[in-house]
Formats: sequence, structure tokens, C-alpha cells
Amino acid sequence: MNPALTELERLFPPGRLLHKPGELVPYESDALTAFRARPLAVVLPESHAEVQAAVRWCAKHQIPYVARGSGTSLSGGSLPIDGGLLIGLNRMNRLLRLDPVERIAVVQPGFINLQVSNAAAPYGLYYAPDPSSQPVSTIGGNLAFNSGGAHCLKYGMTSNHVLAAKVVLPDGETVELGSESLENTGPDWLGLFAGSEGLLGIATEITLRLLPKPETYHTVLAAYDSLAKAGEAVAAVVASGLLPGAMEIMDSLAIEAAEAAVKAGYPLEARALLIVELEGETPQVEAEARYLEEVIQKSGAYEVRVARSNEERLKIWKGRKAAFSAVGRLSPDYIVQDGVVPRSRLGQALQAIEELSARYSLRVANVFHAGDGNLHPLILYNGRLEGELHRAEELAGEILKLCVALGGSITGEHGVGMEKKAYMTEMFREADLAAMQRIRLALDPQELANRGKMFPGETPAQSFHGAHPLEKAGVISRE
Amino acid sequence: MQHKIDVEQLGPQGEIMAHAIEACVHCGFCLPACPTYQVLGEEMDSPRGRIFLMKEVLEGNLQMEEAQPYLDKCLGCQGCVTACPSGVPYGELISTYRGWSEPQRHRSPFQKLFRIGLQETLPYPARFRAAARLGRLGKLVQPLLPPMLKAPLELLPEALPQSEPLPEIIPALGERRARVAFLAGCAQQVLQPGFNRATLRVLAQNGVEVVIPKGQSCCGALALHTGERGRALQFARTNLKAFAGDYDAILTNAAGCGSGLKEYPVLFHGEPEQAQAAQLAARVKDVSVFLLELGLKEVPPLKRPLKVAYHDACHLAHAQGVRAEPRQLLRSIPGVELVEIPEGELCCGSAGTYNLEQPAIAATLGERKARHILASGAEVVVTGNIGCFTQIQTHLKKLGRELLVLHTLELLERAYAQAALQEGPS
Amino acid sequence: MSAPPLQPTSAAEVQEAVRTHRRLLPRGGGSKPALSWPHEGQTVLDLSGLSGVLEYDPGEYVFVARAGTRLAEVEALLAQHGQYLPFDPPLVAQGATLGGTVAAGLSGPMRQRYGGVRDFILGVQFVDGEGQLVRGGGKVVKNAAGFDLPKLMVGSLGRLGILTEVAFKVFPAPKATATLLLDFPGLEGALEALYRLAGSPIELYALDLQPPGTLVLRLGGLPEALPARLEGLQAFLGRGGEPLSGEAETAYWRSLNELNLGEGALVKVALTARRIPALEQALGQAPRRYLSAGNLLYLAWNAELKALDTILQAQGLSGLVLKGATHRPQIGIDLGQVMGHKVTKALDPQGKFAQEPYAAQD
Repeated sequence: MNPALTELERLFPPGRLLHKPGELVPYESDALTAFRARPLAVVLPESHAEVQAAVRWCAKHQIPYVARGSGTSLSGGSLPIDGGLLIGLNRMNRLLRLDPVERIAVVQPGFINLQVSNAAAPYGLYYAPDPSSQPVSTIGGNLAFNSGGAHCLKYGMTSNHVLAAKVVLPDGETVELGSESLENTGPDWLGLFAGSEGLLGIATEITLRLLPKPETYHTVLAAYDSLAKAGEAVAAVVASGLLPGAMEIMDSLAIEAAEAAVKAGYPLEARALLIVELEGETPQVEAEARYLEEVIQKSGAYEVRVARSNEERLKIWKGRKAAFSAVGRLSPDYIVQDGVVPRSRLGQALQAIEELSARYSLRVANVFHAGDGNLHPLILYNGRLEGELHRAEELAGEILKLCVALGGSITGEHGVGMEKKAYMTEMFREADLAAMQRIRLALDPQELANRGKMFPGETPAQSFHGAHPLEKAGVISRE
Repeated sequence: MQHKIDVEQLGPQGEIMAHAIEACVHCGFCLPACPTYQVLGEEMDSPRGRIFLMKEVLEGNLQMEEAQPYLDKCLGCQGCVTACPSGVPYGELISTYRGWSEPQRHRSPFQKLFRIGLQETLPYPARFRAAARLGRLGKLVQPLLPPMLKAPLELLPEALPQSEPLPEIIPALGERRARVAFLAGCAQQVLQPGFNRATLRVLAQNGVEVVIPKGQSCCGALALHTGERGRALQFARTNLKAFAGDYDAILTNAAGCGSGLKEYPVLFHGEPEQAQAAQLAARVKDVSVFLLELGLKEVPPLKRPLKVAYHDACHLAHAQGVRAEPRQLLRSIPGVELVEIPEGELCCGSAGTYNLEQPAIAATLGERKARHILASGAEVVVTGNIGCFTQIQTHLKKLGRELLVLHTLELLERAYAQAALQEGPS
Repeated sequence: MSAPPLQPTSAAEVQEAVRTHRRLLPRGGGSKPALSWPHEGQTVLDLSGLSGVLEYDPGEYVFVARAGTRLAEVEALLAQHGQYLPFDPPLVAQGATLGGTVAAGLSGPMRQRYGGVRDFILGVQFVDGEGQLVRGGGKVVKNAAGFDLPKLMVGSLGRLGILTEVAFKVFPAPKATATLLLDFPGLEGALEALYRLAGSPIELYALDLQPPGTLVLRLGGLPEALPARLEGLQAFLGRGGEPLSGEAETAYWRSLNELNLGEGALVKVALTARRIPALEQALGQAPRRYLSAGNLLYLAWNAELKALDTILQAQGLSGLVLKGATHRPQIGIDLGQVMGHKVTKALDPQGKFAQEPYAAQD
């Protein structure tokens, strides 16, 4: 056995150090299966000290590492590194402290997002960021990738709800970032750490802010005979001065898939569905609902439903949140994209995506957070058909370029990870990336932490099922 | 997910496996629904991890033995099937894979003997009864036995009930509203004959004539889920014949048997009886579903209000999607207050013969379930499966809390009979 | 004597200034003099000439402006379209700029409803210590690409780079507001009510504590719903209080925005409500006000800052002097840690923006 591995054996008991093929295979991918890489070993630490020991071991032996929670990244952000160490944090899944009076929860990184709200529910509190993966994804992963969700316009992303974190830096040192206060009197180091995609360290204790649950929800489901009308409805809602907690659109393919998955009762013949949710104090929500009704009526919806009970509301949301994975029912393979465009360009972007879909002869399902212009086109393809993956990747790339050209971003909430690093140069200039790289090197001169992610041009140290289309296209290269 | 499984070489069963693997997008929504992932916290012991492992083995990239320990730990509870947004038929995949891999496996002589022992006794009520009697003697030397043998003994009751031969036809009381065939189940006939007694009484009271076809055998689920496909096919062929008559429905009162019968189309995929299997499966119903559809005759109120927890048997809730019907039946008993068990969708660890083959994990899950049941504040636990019944009773007892555990139809029967419910176990 | 201030009017001129000067101190409107008072050897870079809103589409809830743009100008523009800066930055009338607000990390009472300056900044452009023009973030309301440099700049006090451009998310302004002043017999009662309110679904735009025992609450929303909500709030608290509305209400908050709390230095302290009782014991007569459910304290300190520094250290709190004669505006506990030191050096390797030359530091 590799001598470094022997040393690792002294740090982790046999059950928590995995290195046999049968133990490693299941860790080769996250939720982006187009990429696969086999790590040297997987360790499953159960304490801050063990995380620190693993990181120090990596630094000593110059072995790159990836920290991972539930492995649900859609951008390949938690893809292991060929021959690197995978630090699985899913067993560090304890709620360390819940203080309903101060409205904070302190959790270990492997604690599941939805469990925070579940734990807080008896006190009338909840944790606001709600990525669709919330029943599965961990707070550590959410923090590393600054996860979003359906309620970002009003409530922000993960970084707006994390107060403090205890972090193991890539050299093994521990720092405490942030405090229990919402305010700060110096640079926002925690703000920098949030969304740094595992490149700046591993959080082992995370302090979250809890919010009081809104008194009332008013959830409206409107069906349209065209995607454009649904898009215009969103613009009209915004123009009316309302600030809904969420505005979501699904197109007919996504409706079909979600309905098959969870039987949410969506109108199946609709070309587009708009979900608008108001929330807050009852008199305010009731008043807002009257304005919203007017706007929706004028927007040409042919059917409007209002959730009459919490069960109905949850059903509407369950369909929306299952939509990505449900598309697996329509197609053996798909790519989820995650671009952002200015809200006023939504219609234009959707039109262009439709044209691209026709040009590439690939179906594209659309699910998006319309309130913040965050598009999630799902490109359907069959990887077993020669050349389809290649066309799908090209189409995905075109969509990202389109988003940047319209003044948006290549990622709203899934992060850059593996998948979009080649497109970082579309969004940032050399000097911008150089500054980010300087920050990274200052903390990780050996580039061990999540090597090969986020920054363009780095050799992706992973193996694919065949050559990656970006590689074929000359966008990325290996060796 | 892409794969390179040579479907042609693997044949019809290969198609089933390839189709399931293709449907998986590796999103991870199955993780919180998987009892072994919850207990062990390793990707290999999760549904998507196992799918990866099976894929690699089927593609020829991984030695079967490397994957086996993790595939063996799968309970087959299908909690993941409920959680899966992309509709992966995981149950079909794991059963088919086990059937494919079992003949190629190396097992120790002891393991082989143990497995043959189970397969040759559990599905045959007479043999099982004899073995169970023997087992009671074994209880005397239990502390001295290896864990693999200790587990089955722990689950055996202190005293075995008298065997109750079942008549071939039970006529409806009053006007006949339906005529059904009934699968009597294997283990429950020996361990809890009261399940069938109660079921048959309630059916009769509701105007249902019940036929218990003579030639029936075990449904074959036990064999199928442990990779004994040949044996499962034998049982299934017997039942195809036995249940061929014209009935309004084929009823089961054991979740595992119901889902076993419903799996016949997968079992017979590529076999000559494929169509016949599909026809039979389409007529299979859990007794709770059937009664609810038929319309339950009015139940007299209980003597005092009762807090009842309904435990979802995996093979009802996950494998057959039956959750609401048993609850609705229970709610139609005036005086019953239904409480939900926290984490109710997670398997209790019984899972067919799992608690015999993987006793440690099964015990962890059993205790977890028992604690959740106690936390629910229920006075009575009701379930629709013999395995869950035994597991829950055993683990409640271990915690020193002997709650009354009943089959759904037993509670219903007692309600009809206006019998007292508050006394200890039956 | 320091050199006269430089007055760049473009990002290129800022780059030029960084490349040609050894040590620089950026200044916006000069509304927080303690932060823009040069040390020996520092040249002041006056950014008030780098002004103007560059992009604003009300339908997007986003605007982009040069860093030296005055808050007053931005707020006036937003108000024309019924929008506002939800983090409610202070010192608007004193000429505070966007860049200065970001660098000082300042928010006001209404941060209670939707968050502070860090929660609304979307994008930045700044000149780093080597004179490179760097962009981070974007100008859409949601973005997860690259390191979050915009957040890093919040509270950076000009030490990580000179801000030249900023992008912000904005929201529709409440169509109507109402304020309720409630006097409690003492701190204890007021704090208890503060906790109850903060944990309730009542959505307050402001939740301030004016010691010793006054809570000041602000409601906002649709005018037709406001009376019912105000009644609901009074019922929740079990007392009527003193309502303010109309011009008097607007004037009350406008005057508070100036943070004219009293004589002496103006200091910001970050804390949580739990710290208030002990702090109240220590602070004596200094005029002060706790904002946003006890997360933010502004106080006037009319004595030696050293004494306040000692108090804050003892309480485990950190403060920032905004106005007052000091060369060390950061008081209380030392927030320095290894990550901060390394990142600072990465962006400013030569210490051009450091308070003291690097060699002089420890």
C-alpha cells in the first residue's frame, strides 16, 4: 500500500477509510454524471479534528482533496479528483445548538438543509434558503456553493443566512469567520468564503440564522397557452410593485415530468405554468392578493388556481421541486443549465433557447426562478446515440454565452464547478480571474482544495466516460 | 445515466436492469429515504450507490464480489422508489440483479446451509411450524449461538399458537357483495393465525365471499428477493394456476405477499407466461384497498377513544403505493385517533428475511422504529404485514414497552366485535 | 503634512494613482471622517468626482453606479420609480457615497426588514493594490459565479482595493408606513418585547431600542392593510403606544438617518440583543440607539475612545469609529485572523492601502 495511505490508516479507523474499488465506485460522481473520477481514498471524519487531520495529511503529501456532503452538485462541484482524497462530511450531521430565542442554529456541515427547518418548526421558525435538493443537500455543500432556491429575490441566497463558520483552511489552520450578529465591523471574510466552492477551506461548524415563519401564504398557480405570456406576467407582477416570495415558471415538458413524478395536479395541457407565492402578515397578504389577482387576470392566464390549504400549497411546490430529477422520466440523459438573465430579457432568452433547441434537434425543458431571471433549461439527450452528448454540451454552452450576452451570469445557484469553468472567461476578464486566483493561492499555494474546479484552463484531473465534448471542442484539455 | 451494459448478452432480465439504471440521474433524492444510508452513512449503502455498483458489475468493470456486501445490505424496502423523482424501478432492478448474480456467487457452506434452511422452511407453513417448535428449544441455548442463528430465535414468540386449518370457502354474511380469492400467506399462518381469522371475519361481515384456492403456494417473494429466481418462478407458476378462476379480486393481507404477486410481470419478463402474470397482478389488491373500494359497513364506536399509530409496511407503502387506504379504514372506526409515527417512511428493518441475514442493521432499525412509535404517543400500533408486526413487537419488548401490536384487520375485527382493546398483547 | 488629495474622475485615473503612489486612503463624501483621516504618508484619493448612476432599469430592481455617487442622488432617482435602498444607509444628508457606505459596511434601521448592505450588493469594480482593475459579482439579482468579491468589499475600509463601481439590488418601497413608539418601564421589559417581536411573524421595517426602555417600531406595506396591522401589533404587545404617521413619521426617520446622537465620537458596534443588558451597565450616559432587533448599535462617545475600546474588549465586541479623532477606527476585540491577513496581502501585496506600512506591522 501507498505509504501515505498507511499513514492515513492511522488517522481513520477501517470503517471510515474507504479505498477498495467497491467502496470507491459509488463516490465517483455527484449529481452530474457526465464526469467521473476515482479518488485514491474516501475518509469519513466525525469531528473538526479529524477534518483538520485529513487536510494536514493532504498538505503534507501534496494530495489534492475534495470535501463533499451528499454529493448533489449539479455543476460537478463535488466531483472527486483522480488519485485525490475525498472527504465525506455526511456523517458530521449533528445539530449542535438550536436557540429559538436568539433565532440561530449551529450545525455540522453534513446536516441536511430541510432538517434545519424541521428542527426549527416547533418554535415557529424556519431556514429560508430552499434549493430543490433541500431534502438531501447538506448545509456544508449549500455554503460552499452559495445555494439558492425559489425564494432568492426576496430573501437572498445561502450567504445571506449564514452568520458564522468555523473553517479548516487548506493548510490545516482553523479560523472562525463571522459572528452571531448580522452586522460586522471589518471585511466580510465569511462573505468571501460563502460560495467559494470548496477552494478556500472546509467549514466544520456553521451558524445559521432562522426566520419567523410567515403568518400566511397565498400561492397562485396560473396556466398559460404560451411561455411568452407567462414571462410577461412576471414582468407585470414586478411592475405592480409587489414583491412575491417566489415566482416560478415551468414549460410543458417540465409540467409533464413533474406531474408524472408527484401528481401535483398541474393542468397538463398548459404550455406554461406560473407559480406566484405571496407571504407575510395576513392583512397585507390579503391586500396584495387582490392586486395580484388583477395582474394575473390581465396577463391572459386561461386557468388560475389558488392553494386553499397547506397541503395544496405543498403539492404545488413538490411538483416544482421534483421537476429536475423528474425529467429523467422523459429522457435517459439531460444537462441542467443554470444561467441568469435580467428579468426583462426572459422572453428574449426563452425565444433564443427555443430556436437553439430546434437548431440542435434536442428537446429543452424549461424550469426557472422567473422572479430573479434564473433559467434552468434542461437539455434532453440520449447519451447512447452517437454525437448527442456532444450536441447537448454545445447547446448548453450556447445558452450560457447567451446569458452573458444579455447581461446575466453563467450560474445563478449551482456554481461553476467542473461544468461551467470553461465559461468563466465569458463572464470575467483576465484581471478579474487573476485577482480571484491570487486570493486562492494566498490560502492554498499548492492548489490542493478542490483542484480543477471553478477556474478555467486548469487541467481537469478526472476521467470521463469517453472524451468530454468540451475537450473535443478544444475548450478544455487534459494532460 | 449512461451505461454500456450488454443487454443482448444478458437477455430479457438484462433489459429490466438496463432500463432501471438508465432512468437514474444520480440526483441523490433517494439518500434520506434509504434506511441503510441513514444508519451507515456511506454512499455504497445508498440506492444510487448500489445502482452505480450494479452498473459497474454489469458492464464488467468491477468484480461482483467487490459490490456484493453492499448489495446484500439492501433491505429491498423500496423507500427509494417513493422518493425517486425520475421513476427508477429500483425494486425491479435489485430483485433482477440478485436473481442474475446469485448463481454466480461464492458462499460459505454455512451460509448456503442457512439460506437453504430459510428457503425450505419459511414458505411452507407445516415445515415452518415444525422448525419454530424446534427453535423454541433453541432459545434455551440462545446465548451460546452465533448472531446469525440468534436473530431468528429472538423473533420467535414464547409460545406458538395452535394451527388453524383454513376452509376453502368462507361464505358472505348477509347479501353477497363480492367474491374474491385469498392468498393465505406462509409465515403469518404459523406465527399469527389471528391475522387471517380477523381478515376473513371482516370480509364475511362486509358481504364478501372468500375462496382460498387449495393449490396455492408461497407467493415466491422471499425467494425472488434473495436471488432464488428459479424457486420463485416455481412458486409463481403454481399460483398462476391456483388463482386462475374468475374472482372480483385476489386479496392479500400481508404487504410482502401482495407486492410479491404484483411483481410477477417482472419475474416472468421474457417467459411464456408473461401475459398471464400481468393479468393476475392486475387483480391483486391489499385487503384494505379492497374494503375501502367496496365500502366498509358501519363500525360501532370504540368503548373509549384510542390513539392508534399506523405503521407503513414498506411493501404496502413503497412497493404498492398503499398509504391512504389503511389509514382511512382505521379512521372509519369511531373513537380511533390516528397518530403519525415520526420518520414513518423508513423501514423497520424486518424486510422479509433481512432481519435474519443482516441482524445488526435490522436491530438498529428496529430499535429506531420502536422509539419513534413510543414518541408518537400511540396506545396501539397497527400494521399490515407479519414481518413488521414481529419486528416491532420484538423491539418494543426490548425497550420494555409492550404496546399492543395488531394487524389492521384485527383492529377492525375487534371494533366490529366491540371487544376491549386496552389489555396487553393478544 | 500629507499631500493634497487626488481627484480621479475615471477608473483609469484611479489605477494610475495606485500605480504612482506609495500609500493611499480613499475618501468619498467625507461623512465618516474617522475612516478618511489620513495617516502619515497616506495620500487621500477623493472619489467624489467618480460619480453618476450608469444603469438603472426599475423592472430589474438593479442599478449600477460609480462608487463616488452620493446616496442622496441614488435615493432620489429610485424614489421616482417607487423604489428604495432596503438596507437604509445612514448619513445621506451628510453626503455619504455608495462606495463609502460599502467600505464602511453601514446600514440603517430599515435593514431589519430585508437585510443590510452586504445583502444587497451585487457587483463591484475596484482597483487592487497593484493597480489592476478587478470586477466581481454581476448586475443580476442572482449570481454564483466566482468568488463573492462584492461581499468581501463590505466593511473592507478601503484596505483591499479602491471601489470604482458598484451594483445593487433594490426593492419597491413600501407604499405606506407607520411608526409606533412604546415606552417600557425599563430595559428588561423592552428587551422582552423586542425578543417576542423578533421571533414573531410580524414584519417590521424597523425594530429599534432607544435605551433605557423605548421600542420604536416601523410598519410598511399597502395603505389599506396598515390600520389592521397596526392594531394587530398593538394587540400583540398589549399596549397602544404612541403612533406616528404622515410627515411627522417621515421626518422622525429622516432625522435619525443623520446619526446626530450627541456630542463626541460616532461609533458603530456589531452585537446581538443578548449582549445589551451587560453593555447597558457599562456604557453609562453615552447617547445611543440599538437597531435591527439589537444587531447594530450606534453611539456617541464623548470621552476617551480608549475607555470605550476597553469596554468593548471586555464584552467581546467590536466597534468602528465613524466620526472622531482617531487613527485606529477599529476598536474592541481584534477581528484579525490568518485568512484575513493572507487575503489582504493577496490583493494589496505592497501595503498601499494599509493603515500602517507592512514593515511597521507586528
